[in-house]
Amino acid sequence: MNEIKTKRESISDKLYYPLRIAILLSVLFLFIPALNPARISGVMNRNMSLFTSGISYSSLIDGFGRAFRKGWVMESSFQLLYGSSMVLCLGIIANALSGCASLGNIKMKKLSNLITVISCVAQMLGLVGIYIAYSQIAQTEKPKKIEPLFPDGFWFVAVVAIVTLVLSLAQIILLSKSQKEEKFEMQTKFKLFLMYMPFIALVAVFSYLPLWGWRYAFFNYKVGDSLSMDNFVGFKWFTELFNNPATVRDIVNVLKNTLAMSGLGILTSWIPMAFAIFLSEIKSIRFRRFVQTFTTVPNFISWVLVYAIAFCIFSTDGFLSSILVNTGVWEQGQNLLMGNEHTWLKMWAWGMWKGVGWSAIIYIAAISGIDQQLYEAATVDGAGRFQKMWHITVPGLIPTFCVLLLMSVANILSNGMDQYLVFKNATNADTIRVLDLYVYELGIGKGSIPLTTVVSMLKSIISVTLLFLANGVSKLIRGESIV
Amino acid sequence: MAKTAQEKADLKAERIYERTHKKRYRTRPGDVVFNVLNYLVFTLFTIACIFPFYYLFINTISDNDLVIKGLINFVPKGIHLDNYKSLLNVSDLSNAFIVSIARTFLGTALMVAASGFVGYLVTKQEMWGRKFWYRFLIITMYFNAGLIPWFLNMQMLGLTNTFWAYIVPGIVAPYNIILVKTYIESIPAELEESAEMDGATYMTVFRKIIWPLSKPILATIAIFGAVGHWNSFTDSLILMQSAPNLYTLQHRLYIYLNQASNLSALMESGGQVSESVIKSALSGKVIKYTISMVTVIPILVVYPFMQRYFEKGIMLGAVKG
Repeated sequence: MNEIKTKRESISDKLYYPLRIAILLSVLFLFIPALNPARISGVMNRNMSLFTSGISYSSLIDGFGRAFRKGWVMESSFQLLYGSSMVLCLGIIANALSGCASLGNIKMKKLSNLITVISCVAQMLGLVGIYIAYSQIAQTEKPKKIEPLFPDGFWFVAVVAIVTLVLSLAQIILLSKSQKEEKFEMQTKFKLFLMYMPFIALVAVFSYLPLWGWRYAFFNYKVGDSLSMDNFVGFKWFTELFNNPATVRDIVNVLKNTLAMSGLGILTSWIPMAFAIFLSEIKSIRFRRFVQTFTTVPNFISWVLVYAIAFCIFSTDGFLSSILVNTGVWEQGQNLLMGNEHTWLKMWAWGMWKGVGWSAIIYIAAISGIDQQLYEAATVDGAGRFQKMWHITVPGLIPTFCVLLLMSVANILSNGMDQYLVFKNATNADTIRVLDLYVYELGIGKGSIPLTTVVSMLKSIISVTLLFLANGVSKLIRGESIV
Repeated sequence: MAKTAQEKADLKAERIYERTHKKRYRTRPGDVVFNVLNYLVFTLFTIACIFPFYYLFINTISDNDLVIKGLINFVPKGIHLDNYKSLLNVSDLSNAFIVSIARTFLGTALMVAASGFVGYLVTKQEMWGRKFWYRFLIITMYFNAGLIPWFLNMQMLGLTNTFWAYIVPGIVAPYNIILVKTYIESIPAELEESAEMDGATYMTVFRKIIWPLSKPILATIAIFGAVGHWNSFTDSLILMQSAPNLYTLQHRLYIYLNQASNLSALMESGGQVSESVIKSALSGKVIKYTISMVTVIPILVVYPFMQRYFEKGIMLGAVKG
């Protein structure tokens, strides 16, 4: 009887989509500082979101202590602002919850509509409160000190709240009288989805929202500015990357370092495999476990600690210097960490020291997976030790090797910045600066946001392309994908 | 005494090894050379891996005068613990220690709980849009917006210079979720089904069945997560630019290592150094060594426990899906 949906119900179902989108938008507004409707003064922190304004009074009045004392503004208008922001926040949160509830059965939908209507009204009240607070502040004697400012976000939030209100009122009219549904219920698929949703939200906020930051690549942005059409520059920074001689020189140098060090890593990526093969040739299990245990330790310490280790061994008063000075080989200690020679090799060596034992584990595991009968058969056929290594062990490890090799090719531009940052000093800066470090220095250190955003963008796109290529190659050769 | 599974496996491997290698071989001269070289190279490399830690350690517990003269190279002399005691007085260091401990415990606990729960949820075929949402999660492993957009995003969210910047972004860890999912899929479905027949909700099934059964994999990701948190350094460097009280221990260590290596620099940087420390002539070198040692000790302490798990972890990681 209930299987066939009435026209009414299908309209109601469709109307829920814009309603949920509106609610989602309002939740987004909660966290975006640029759209904070409670930022009614230029003195307030630019990075404060509506959520922060609604929960923390102290951050709201931050910077107004003097204004209160001098009587430029009344503290009561700020208390009103705080209360209104809090009501607004609660309204939006209630809306979000009711949006979730609207996935349930008719009884749940009814409850959800009721909550939405109430919370929309609450949001309106909050907005009115903010407006009153604004008009109180706008009458200050010292507009220069207080900088009254009508927030752009006000209208966004207001429009969304009104749309939500109208839609949910429509839903109340559309929803048929419940057929005495006894319980609040929801379909399993939606229940599961709602349990999953908070985590989707986290991923969206921390992994997808940064993509929104790519817009900085098209603006003439300096730290502290805001983005507007005035400083829109189109592809200026992209062309700058190829036209400005100083930048081009930097980029070429940086790419040279990046590719050289990644290249060294790729060229020597067979070493962990060799490590595993030769280790498995050692008869004593105890010795093998001993080696395995201790060569894996460096993998678990941070690059800062690796640098600390390097420091205690190779610095002016470190181990090597004190040995060589005490035996009279050197006249005085030398700091081997300084200097510009062989930087690429040194960095490669530290990478090996840290990683080779760890990387070998996967090969050791793979060796134990090779069919022992192959070895026995080879022994019977008179194969020697090296023949067995070369003709049985190595081919058994090649598939693993290929996957790892392709992955490292795909990651050729991302060698991370930790290692190079800690080992960098005045003398080796030119030969150690890899792409990631360059972006860090230029973007975070010198505040050149647009240019580094361009570099980040290009790097991301190239890396993904390389990954797909590597995946394609893997599919072609081995018939298996690596991602 | 009962033998552990590991020992049994070792014994078996040894027997197989003997069958395949020992019997047929008359030891030829070439083999002897090979063996000697093999043992030698591995011994040397192993020493290269552990000696620095030992060197660091003996220099922090030996007589400071000898250390400064560079006379402590292999054997500790004049053992004392004053260096460690005096570190307690450096307030920004103990602060950093607390921050690192807090983020390691809290961050790991939340990450493990979330990975377990999400790993369970994504095995549920009946979820609305399961495939899409699962991919939505996994894609982020291979693609990111880049350092600067990430930083601007954190700034926009108001997380810079707050402790939560260490915790919240790391809660959802796609790779760990894959590991847990793969593991849960290997648990017999009958267990869940029977519980569901008895009317257990998803939450109950997760708490009473899935969580206890997937403890091995949860322990694995907990260990990797904890090591990651303890070692992380760039997030402190980039996100805490104006909150020095939230620097992690690694970040502090980095700062000290780069400092003009003397006591006065330490005092200028805000650490309060007591009279007794100055008297004991704690040189910059010893401070650096001691701080390094304090930073590395937690790793070395948990390492034996970790070892049991990481082989499992790396093998599971090879099976993706």
